[in-house]
Amino acid sequence: MALLTLQGISKCYQQGELQVNALNDINLQVEEGEFAALVGPSGSGKTTLLNIIGGLDTPTHGRTLLNNTDITGLKEAELSNFRLFQLGFIFQAYNLVPVLSALENVELVMVLQGRSAEEKRERAEHYLQLVGLQDVMQRRPSALSGGQQQRVAVARALAAGPRLVLADEPTANLDSENATALLDIMHRLSHEEKTTFIFSTHDPRVMERAERIITLHDGKIVSDECHQRHDEPTV
Amino acid sequence: MSKPHSHLPLTILFMLAWRNLWRHRRRTLITLTSIAIGFGLAVLFIGIGDGSHNSMIRNAIKLGEGHITVQPKDYLQAPANHKYLSDGLSLSAKLNELNVTGSVAARISLQVLASTASNSVGAALEGFRSNSDQRQAMLQPQLIEGNWIEAGDHRGIVIGDGMARKLKAKIGSKVVLMAGKQGGDSQAQLGRVRGIFDSHVDELDDYLILSDLQFAQYFLAGEGAIIEQAPVTRFAVFLDDPDTMAYWKAQIKSVIENDLVVALDWQEMMPQLVQFIIIDDVGNYVFLILILIMVVFGIVNTVLMSVLERTREFGLLRALGLGRQHLLLLVFCETLLLSVLAVIIGWVVGGGTHWWFSQHGIDFSALMPEGTAMMGTFMDPVVYTELSWDRVTQLTIIIFVTTLLSGIYPAIKAARVTPVEALRT
Repeated sequence: MALLTLQGISKCYQQGELQVNALNDINLQVEEGEFAALVGPSGSGKTTLLNIIGGLDTPTHGRTLLNNTDITGLKEAELSNFRLFQLGFIFQAYNLVPVLSALENVELVMVLQGRSAEEKRERAEHYLQLVGLQDVMQRRPSALSGGQQQRVAVARALAAGPRLVLADEPTANLDSENATALLDIMHRLSHEEKTTFIFSTHDPRVMERAERIITLHDGKIVSDECHQRHDEPTV
Repeated sequence: MSKPHSHLPLTILFMLAWRNLWRHRRRTLITLTSIAIGFGLAVLFIGIGDGSHNSMIRNAIKLGEGHITVQPKDYLQAPANHKYLSDGLSLSAKLNELNVTGSVAARISLQVLASTASNSVGAALEGFRSNSDQRQAMLQPQLIEGNWIEAGDHRGIVIGDGMARKLKAKIGSKVVLMAGKQGGDSQAQLGRVRGIFDSHVDELDDYLILSDLQFAQYFLAGEGAIIEQAPVTRFAVFLDDPDTMAYWKAQIKSVIENDLVVALDWQEMMPQLVQFIIIDDVGNYVFLILILIMVVFGIVNTVLMSVLERTREFGLLRALGLGRQHLLLLVFCETLLLSVLAVIIGWVVGGGTHWWFSQHGIDFSALMPEGTAMMGTFMDPVVYTELSWDRVTQLTIIIFVTTLLSGIYPAIKAARVTPVEALRT
């Protein structure tokens, strides 16, 4: 059974007197371990779809089945717990907690999960090493570059052991070198950890590395193609 | 099996709250400073209020009837010359057996008409044992003419300068004191002015005549009292430690109170003074409320600004799985820490200010050229601030709870953040 199933997802917003159909009857299945990209122009519904998959937003119609759970029927507190234990998030604007060090940021989700101090420390250090930040673990976000911050966000998303990682334009604020390095890391970890990644992008460098490209236009899936995986890092 | 749910240990919660508090160091310091200054002012004003009230109470107790008064049961409601404690001797013995930590003064109070060749005025004759009464300690330094009554001076009287003016009496003048008797007759004794005092309290200067106990006992003898039984109107009990008043009152009541005799504390004896202090306290509390309003605005401003500028961060935390209740707790903890710091710094500033003025006092004489007399007593012109432990606890709780309550709205505001909207900001 697919890890993620979207059935007839629609989302309508009311903007003043205007009704906006952000998503229109989306049906989609994503298997475990996929490295899939949601692409499309601005306003095509990528972020809205990611928010609905992540339980951050609710659809007007349709169901989201994630790991056999219909999350559209969950109450807010249940959704919050579901996100905590099943999902990882990487946002466009890094979104680290500024008063915590890189290590503490990575540990934070595991703290909320109730993991032991040793386990969370071990995992946090491990994932920060995997993303190449072993030397700056004690630094706060303000002392890290944009690329480093986004790598902390990747380590945070993966260290908590999610089934699915959702990344909303993760390379949008990065220069070419940092973007490529981050994608390589995400790609490698997806492969090693067997973690499913879905990320929205309109960055060709990201699309290049995706195994599957789902194209949205005006809230509809207009194409869904599987690509040959771009294997190892270019750096 | 219970579903997995989010955990946020208190250590992490407080660590996050503490670091968030110092995210804008200058803003937090300004807020803390304003609270501390407000708190310091509140402590100072309450301290001055308590200091002046206590000064008035101490003086009223010394000039009046002590911390605890033993007197005929219905005397307070309807004072009369024929109401007295006929067996002062045995009552005095019982009081002495209690070993009260303080002193006990036997007194006689009589309503008299004082007359000289020039004039007659109504007066209160107060007989006391010379050289051992607190009232003497208070008024002897106020003598402006003559001398104090010597022990065993059975005719000597001391009067206030107001009465001396009315009677046109001088040192050595004869004053006839006439008192009504039960049944309508009257009796008179001749007194001679030994001294004139000026207490600056009109009620005393115009109305009080002081004499040795024995002189006043002549009037009680006229009412039928037996002098050998040492009749008195009351015993005034002065305590070394006023905080023990409730204990000693209970002890005295258990020993002497019966159908004819009652033990009253100073609040029962001087209800007008108590009322005055309550009303004055209300004024102080209004000032305190104004300060608290400033404190509330300061804290709400700091915490609310801190919440509003972190909307996106709260959205992130909610997206990561932090529950609403944890977000609410986080902001509430920030306020809690701010409150604790505010109270500590407030006490350092307020306590320091209080300590200085409790040692050096504040001289109000320039502000009160007419004198400091009120409600039949007077306030020392130099007021030393006073704060009881009750007041310390009270002020701490008021400031702490107020600051804590100020955090409720920002905390609710933070908990209402929805991740999808917050992340859009």
